[in-house]
Amino acid sequence: MIPFIQLFSLYVIIHGASGPGGGFQGGVVFGSSFILYVVVFDITRGRKKLPESLNTTLSSLGLYIYAGLGLLCIIVSSGVAQYLNYGFLPFTSHFEENRAVSIELVEIGIGITVMAIMISIFFDLAWKEETGSSREE
Amino acid sequence: MRRLPTIALILISLLCPLFVYVAEDIPVFGDPNSPSIKYVKVFSIGADALEDDLNRSVIPNSLMAEFEKRGFPGPSRVEKDTGVEGEWNGFVSKEEMHYSREEKYYWIKKEGDNLGVYRYAFVVRWIEKGQRETNTPNMVTYGLADYRGYDTLGETAVIFTAGVSVILLLRRRGRL
Repeated sequence: MIPFIQLFSLYVIIHGASGPGGGFQGGVVFGSSFILYVVVFDITRGRKKLPESLNTTLSSLGLYIYAGLGLLCIIVSSGVAQYLNYGFLPFTSHFEENRAVSIELVEIGIGITVMAIMISIFFDLAWKEETGSSREE
Repeated sequence: MRRLPTIALILISLLCPLFVYVAEDIPVFGDPNSPSIKYVKVFSIGADALEDDLNRSVIPNSLMAEFEKRGFPGPSRVEKDTGVEGEWNGFVSKEEMHYSREEKYYWIKKEGDNLGVYRYAFVVRWIEKGQRETNTPNMVTYGLADYRGYDTLGETAVIFTAGVSVILLLRRRGRL
């Protein structure tokens, strides 16, 4: 079931430009697939699937993609374009095509951040302490 | 003890007319010509002999002077609105580097003896030209990621900050 949910979330992110969907929604669906895994199996096995360091890296990676894409516009056009003016990126030869491609990349960045933050918050709330878990109850 | 409910009753009864007034003031839902959606009024000017000039796509000098007096960019071209008598579109040349295109900016309409000059709202450009400018068929997506890119960057940063603060508050092993 989980691979199908993840496939569906990728579909939501990729088709954000042509149908309903987008980075926020797709990221939430992707994160909920991991949460479902933890609910069905065990939290330690879920943590093994997605280690803590990778989770933190992913959560900042999406934001870096977004902000870096904006900064790349200034660098590539050597200061002519404004921040986040995607048309100047050299992906394709057309101004409008550049914007379409950059919208997709930005959606992917949003999706990665939302997914990682969802999982991170869930693990932090659900994590049981290794020692002294009975003391708290 | 009776004073508090009385004050509350007075306040609520004062609020009711206010809400009724606001609800009456809202434009009809889905009306594409409602002011807040389509245009904002700039000024109105006497219509004597200006109409013929506008019909011949000539910008009258008095209209141009009025624009300059109010600090608005004067239109570079005026065109008759297709099919409608007494309405004109004013175009403004954009001075954006590498991206200078004419923008439909003013809407001039005859109202009795006056010419009302309106400025088109941003939504008109969003709807009419968005798909051509960004090559993306979904109006919501190009609004979210392109026209309002700064806003979405801030939203993503808010989500990131929420996650980091939960890590700092709840993760007791003391490392990220």
